[in-house]
Amino acid sequence: MKNLRRAVQTLFLLFFFFLLLQTESKGNDELGYPVRLFLDFDPLIFFTTLLSAHAVAKAFAYSIITIIVTVLLGRVFCGWVCPLGTLNNLVGSIRKKAAAHQGRKWHRVKYYILIGILGSSLFTLQPVGIMDPLSLIIRSFSISLFPAFNYGVRAAFDTIYSVNPFGLAALSEPLYTVLKKSVLAFDKSYYEQSIFLGSLFLAILGLNLIERRFWCKYLCPLGALLGLLSRFSWLRRSVSEECTECGACSRVCQGNAAPDQKENWKDSECLYCWNCDDICPSNAVSFGFGKKKTAAMDLGRRRIITAACSGIAAVPLIRITPVSRTNSSDPRLLRPPGSLEETEFLKRCVKCGECMKVCTTNGLQPTLLEAGLEGIWSPMLVPRIGYCEYRCTLCGQVCPTGAIKRLAQEEKAKVKIGLAMIDKGRCLPWAHATPCIMCEEVCPTPKKAVWFEKVEVRDRNGKKLILQQPHVDLELCIGCGICEAKCPVLGRPAIYVSSVGESRSKENQLLLT
Amino acid sequence: MDRRTFIKLTALSGAGLAVPKEFGVLAHAAESAKRPDLVVAHGGSAEQIVKAALDAMGGIQSFISRGDVVVIKPNIGWDRLAEQAANTNPEVVAVVVKLCFEAGAKKVRVFDRPVNDPRRCFVQSGIIKAAGSLGADVDYMDERKFRDMDIKGEALKSWPLYTELFEADKVINIPIAKHHGLAKLTLSMKNWMGVMGGQRRQIHQKLDDSLVDLAHKIKPSLTILDAVRILTANGPQGGSLADVKKLDTVIAGVDQVAIDSYGATLFGMKGSDLGYVVRGHKLGLGQMDLHKLNIKKITV
Repeated sequence: MKNLRRAVQTLFLLFFFFLLLQTESKGNDELGYPVRLFLDFDPLIFFTTLLSAHAVAKAFAYSIITIIVTVLLGRVFCGWVCPLGTLNNLVGSIRKKAAAHQGRKWHRVKYYILIGILGSSLFTLQPVGIMDPLSLIIRSFSISLFPAFNYGVRAAFDTIYSVNPFGLAALSEPLYTVLKKSVLAFDKSYYEQSIFLGSLFLAILGLNLIERRFWCKYLCPLGALLGLLSRFSWLRRSVSEECTECGACSRVCQGNAAPDQKENWKDSECLYCWNCDDICPSNAVSFGFGKKKTAAMDLGRRRIITAACSGIAAVPLIRITPVSRTNSSDPRLLRPPGSLEETEFLKRCVKCGECMKVCTTNGLQPTLLEAGLEGIWSPMLVPRIGYCEYRCTLCGQVCPTGAIKRLAQEEKAKVKIGLAMIDKGRCLPWAHATPCIMCEEVCPTPKKAVWFEKVEVRDRNGKKLILQQPHVDLELCIGCGICEAKCPVLGRPAIYVSSVGESRSKENQLLLT
Repeated sequence: MDRRTFIKLTALSGAGLAVPKEFGVLAHAAESAKRPDLVVAHGGSAEQIVKAALDAMGGIQSFISRGDVVVIKPNIGWDRLAEQAANTNPEVVAVVVKLCFEAGAKKVRVFDRPVNDPRRCFVQSGIIKAAGSLGADVDYMDERKFRDMDIKGEALKSWPLYTELFEADKVINIPIAKHHGLAKLTLSMKNWMGVMGGQRRQIHQKLDDSLVDLAHKIKPSLTILDAVRILTANGPQGGSLADVKKLDTVIAGVDQVAIDSYGATLFGMKGSDLGYVVRGHKLGLGQMDLHKLNIKKITV
């Protein structure tokens, strides 16, 4: 059984990486792969979004499947499917001996985390993305680990190419081409906080050295939710009379389910890895369908109430920042096109990073505190890194919760992310009697939002020059930021976008319309 | 005379002297002497007019030899569809690719350094499919292959340019005729911006001089100006079909200044309205006076 399980885990992990690799533009309007599939199957996101935004995203029909499977078979998702669980398994196997101190009572912690999250969600906060394992692993790979891998491999091949030791480049270049077409991203990508998010993820993997599957046993809120559901599971484990109480099973148990306790086996902790069955020297363990006797789940009423109250109390605490007041949020907080109005956006966004991974220009970056602590790691367009490509609609296609609406190309062309304005003190034709038309040239609206005024100016020597000075037509500008991205005035650009005028907000407006 | 031309001429005259029965070569040379300066082909499909234009120029084989590595440089600058006339017409590119292979080209490379995302530009323009399916290498540009090159021009002393262009045996420039906010029109000479690396946006500060400097550095074997559709306003990327005019025309020639001078007339302008044409003419890069050119007009 162990080999079968490993094979299934490997397949799902490879499938996860495959979808991650496909989360990138191929130049077509449609992405072509259901890249957010793992998130679609995540019932935790389904529940919290239901609570916080009173919204059911269409794709979450899949998460019903996860719920049904868990009710029938227990936490098989954790043991057989979850890519983070599989990685935890892998890293855990670095440690040869099982931890001496197995069976910590900390398994309850994850339930309190879950209760806290649900408490917050009930009162409109959506904190689940921080710890939801699928959001976490997608975010960590998208923003940190995969870009680092990509950078490293490219740097290695680039070095061989430029140094060309012993004519090695003749061999490395064909290999490089193969890699570029298979496991590398189209280009290097760069993300704010990449080292922070990567370290956090590596720390979580590192916990396996303390105890294998530490995260799954003690911290994972999705594991907790599935654990609760598995209380009703029909798949039961039974131990026959042959059991000699040798304890072999408890050392290989992946979930601290107390397999040696027979009747007191904790079904909600069992990952159905079948290790106990495999290892049992007297073949006393078997799994089958039926009603079962298991240990009661004793979370403690007071603790449950405390956890729920903490979650609820977090809501006002996190919201008493000036960010919530009109005109006090960060002017550079440019949300991707199709984003809902900010409060509705935050109720949905799970910070999975899919939109940042798929963004063609690398312009979507994780926020730190620009959107308050509530919005940490949510997407923000940073035009200096990458603008919003006029005819691209990929971010809305991959968003799992509808925080970014899926827009048709014609709809998207009308959505204002913000408005561009000119810094006349830095602009070449405005301040330095030098021709430049970059912002106008790249402006993508069919009737250009950047227009010219022909003026006669004199340079330092009194020589007359005819120049075209750019202006922005605020009615036409959609705030895509390509002008800012391509402005030759490096450092602080002479044209830049801020969020004022964004379509999604009623308050953050400039023009009387 | 650069080394390559010297070698070719030596080989050519050597062949002519040593093997008189290969009269074709000489006939060929004679033919190219009375070749028109410009051919303007109008009517029919993209394939028909390109073929007609090249036939009138003496056939593709007078430009491409067996075994050549050919670079075709269309404009693939923008994430726009073919009918929006921001990129070179994919059918025009395809015909030229096909003809090059028919003339015995060993390899045909097609590239451009776009302004928008390269993947979207290559795919949405239709060029990667049109040229790729015929066996051309339509590759995204490789940042490592830009090298600083001497230009020694008025505005550009040196600039990182794409090495594959200079490693090719033959270069064919296939720009599209479009409106442009600063250059007024972007035609053949401005298409070389697509092989510039680095901070090429700076050249707008001295655009006319820079374009002539570039055209002095890069002299293609052949230029085919695509005016199947032209973009008359909101260029160079357009977006509105109201700004697109269908002319069903291509203009073939070798002289970049002459091509651009004629190209201006498609927009109701004159070559003398374009700073880089005037400057190119003055510096001896080519002939802008259309009266002094042998222009052959064909209607298909």
